Amino acid sequence: MINKKVCMLGAFSVGKTSLVSQFVHSVFSDRYLSTVGVKISKKEIMTCGKEINLLLWDMEGKDAYVDINTSYLRGAMGFFVVADGTRKETLDIALELREIAFKYLGKPLPNKLLINKADIRNKWEITPEMLEGLREKRIDFFCTSAKSGDTVDDAFKSLTEEMLQEQNSAK
Amino acid sequence: MTTELPVSEQAPVKESGILVEDSGVTEVSATERIDAHLANDNVAENAAVVSEDEAFWKSIPEAPTDKEVKLLRSLLFSREIAIIEKLRSSYTNAQYNAKKVGNILAEAILLRSKSDNGLNVALESVVDNILQSSLQKRKTEFVDVLYPLMGPTIRKSIAESFRSMMADFGKSMEMAFSWKGLRWRLEALRTGKTFSEVVLLHTLEYRVEQVFFIHSDTGLLLSYLINEEINAKGEGGDTNDAGMLSGMLTAIQDFVRDCFKGGDVESMQMGECTIYIKKSRLAYLACVVRGIPPVGLQRKLEEILEMLLIEYADELNDFCGDTAPFADAARLLETCMLSHYQREGRQVHPFWGKWVPYALALSFCIGLGVVYYGHAANIGAHREAIAVLRAEPGLMIVHVQEESGIFDRSPWKVIAFHDEFARMPADILTANGMDAALFSFNLVPFISHDRSVVLRRAEKSFSLPETVSMSLDNGLLTFKGTAPMAWILHTREAAMLLPGVKQVDMRGLRDPLAEEIARRVKIVEGVTVRFPAGGDMPITSDQPHLNNAMDALVELERLTRKMGIVVSLTIYGHADATGTAKRNYEISQARAHTVASMLYARGSGMPISIYGMGSQYPSDEKTGEYEQEKTMRQAPYGDDLASRRIEFRVHLTSQPTITTERLLSQ
Ligand SMILES: Nc1nc2c(ncn2[C@@H]2O[C@H](COP(=O)(O)OP(=O)(O)OP(=O)(O)O)[C@@H](O)[C@H]2O)c(=O)[nH]1
Ligand SMILES: [Mg+2]
Repeated sequence: MINKKVCMLGAFSVGKTSLVSQFVHSVFSDRYLSTVGVKISKKEIMTCGKEINLLLWDMEGKDAYVDINTSYLRGAMGFFVVADGTRKETLDIALELREIAFKYLGKPLPNKLLINKADIRNKWEITPEMLEGLREKRIDFFCTSAKSGDTVDDAFKSLTEEMLQEQNSAK
Repeated sequence: MTTELPVSEQAPVKESGILVEDSGVTEVSATERIDAHLANDNVAENAAVVSEDEAFWKSIPEAPTDKEVKLLRSLLFSREIAIIEKLRSSYTNAQYNAKKVGNILAEAILLRSKSDNGLNVALESVVDNILQSSLQKRKTEFVDVLYPLMGPTIRKSIAESFRSMMADFGKSMEMAFSWKGLRWRLEALRTGKTFSEVVLLHTLEYRVEQVFFIHSDTGLLLSYLINEEINAKGEGGDTNDAGMLSGMLTAIQDFVRDCFKGGDVESMQMGECTIYIKKSRLAYLACVVRGIPPVGLQRKLEEILEMLLIEYADELNDFCGDTAPFADAARLLETCMLSHYQREGRQVHPFWGKWVPYALALSFCIGLGVVYYGHAANIGAHREAIAVLRAEPGLMIVHVQEESGIFDRSPWKVIAFHDEFARMPADILTANGMDAALFSFNLVPFISHDRSVVLRRAEKSFSLPETVSMSLDNGLLTFKGTAPMAWILHTREAAMLLPGVKQVDMRGLRDPLAEEIARRVKIVEGVTVRFPAGGDMPITSDQPHLNNAMDALVELERLTRKMGIVVSLTIYGHADATGTAKRNYEISQARAHTVASMLYARGSGMPISIYGMGSQYPSDEKTGEYEQEKTMRQAPYGDDLASRRIEFRVHLTSQPTITTERLLSQ
């Protein structure tokens, strides 16, 4: 059995917890329960003919007052940074967290940017031009919806595959 | 070479035999010889038969003597010969071999012990023998080494068993008096388990329920074991949760370490369960235990972790999520899945079995409860009293033998060091409103250096007058106040000998009597008594001074008699320089004599020595300074009046006391 530790990073209320709960239990709730500290979930998936255990560390969201606790990042093998499409400042925070994680872990680990709440695209502040900018910067991103489950599985699967590749190339 | 091995194995001796015969040296046979040599080498190594090896060396033919062949040989095979020589020397060199074997010994042992336990079997008796003989030879060394370990171990285990006894009592009490007993009965009815089974489950002393082997950095679960009973009943939660739980455990530790810099979590309480954690840099063990585990469990965990770290050192360092290499770790984890029940399960009979034992147990528990609480109170009173005694200066409790029997109310035996100047233990207890009969004391006399005891000792041994106060600070005994000089002198010596006193300061002590004496001595010795030229009666103007001095002397005699001091007096008579030396000597002596007789006439009985000094010691004083002289204008007494004088010297000698007299006479 292969286990992978994956961290969920992002500003507060962007939907980290919702994404995990959609991916693991396929449920979504409108209620917002802010995560304190860290919450760990587990999901077994099959990819590339291998059974893989994902240990998902859903971390407290960053806001102006709360910095993320980097020690939870220790030993992570991959991570998601999550932004909320309806608040464009969360994208900046997400990109900043990405850099912090690289710096803390000492190397660029497999990671994906998730721009969440794709089900309410009409309320998005993040524009297609901004997405184009990300593409130019070669940042891998997915537009997900924890509510409808759109592209959630794809995103997790994609990260897992990248982590497996990383593991094989390290050998 | 390896392909030839089976051949030479089949008939190694035979082949060597052929070589012996075939000493006709050709290129081919020489090569063969090398091969055979090496092949034989292998055989010898494999079979580890020394004699065969020897046989081989004997079987090697002599080097050829033919000059040409020799040359040819050296031309063709110089390299091979060198190699063979090198191999031979290294093969026979014991030191080299030892070094080589030494290099691979550890790996070899590791390899072998991984594959089977043959090594253990082989070494067991050897190690046993070594241990036995060295134990026998160096008994005292072993005792010395073990002694400091055994004390704490025994203490700990006693404390532990006492704790579990108390817990046991507590549980019985609870079962008898609380709703728990009833609840268990209901639970038994509900679940269809026998009542004793339910009790058993609840009176479980401890059980290791789950063990986690976790990678420190990632918090990923490497290996996991759950107690089969719990697993079968599904009480331990989903086995799938183990992965999340190990992540959570790691996160908690991260959190704690972040909050309390450097602090590591060693255990966590989770309801009735405790999670014990043994950490190392690479990996850690977490062990979920229900109840109170034995002291040994923590050590056990430590040992297992160490073994795991050794076994999986590389895998842990290169860990990238694959737990397959750790599949075997569960084998080790198994060894800490311990459990212990307080009581054995019983077969329960349908009706009697259900109710009669319970009723009996209940009444027994009530009885026991009464006794037990009495007992607990009894122990409490004893402990409290001991604490009071321990705080008493000059009393050092060395040993308390607790009579902890529940029905045994005999007094506890206490052995203590006791200073004679400290309070008696029974008095201390009574003074504190405690029962002195709780203990029987065995007091061993000793000298305490405790401040208050030293002070009390000083008070008693000096018969301290009320006018004297005393203080002790860091061994410095300071006296203040007034006391007779004799007491002061005596005490000064005695105080230095007092245990607990290092220095004595008596500068603050005064003897009023001594001061009186000193004042009078000063009056006497300072007096001026002068005489007219050629006369031995003092001039009239000095008569009052002389009277003063004589009064002072009589008073001095009276005062000193009280103190056991003897006063003696010396009177020096002086004359002026006029006249012959003989005359001057006579007149000076006459003057001293006159004064002495006047003193005796006043009732003095002191010894007086008289010296006539003649004119050797003229006075420093200038004449004509006296007012009387000035007013008289004339010098009716001649011009060196000041030299015609007497001088007093007072001597005080302490009278030998009666006691010392008696001592001397003995
Ligand atoms: N419409 C919509 N709402 C979402 C989506 N994802 C999350 N939400 C809502 O956004 C709110 C915050 O979601 P969470 O998942 O708790 O956010 P979080 O990032 O975990 O927040 P913190 O734990 O406080 O950092 C909740 O009310 C969710 O219902 C989504 O894809 N679409
Ligand atoms: Mg959350």
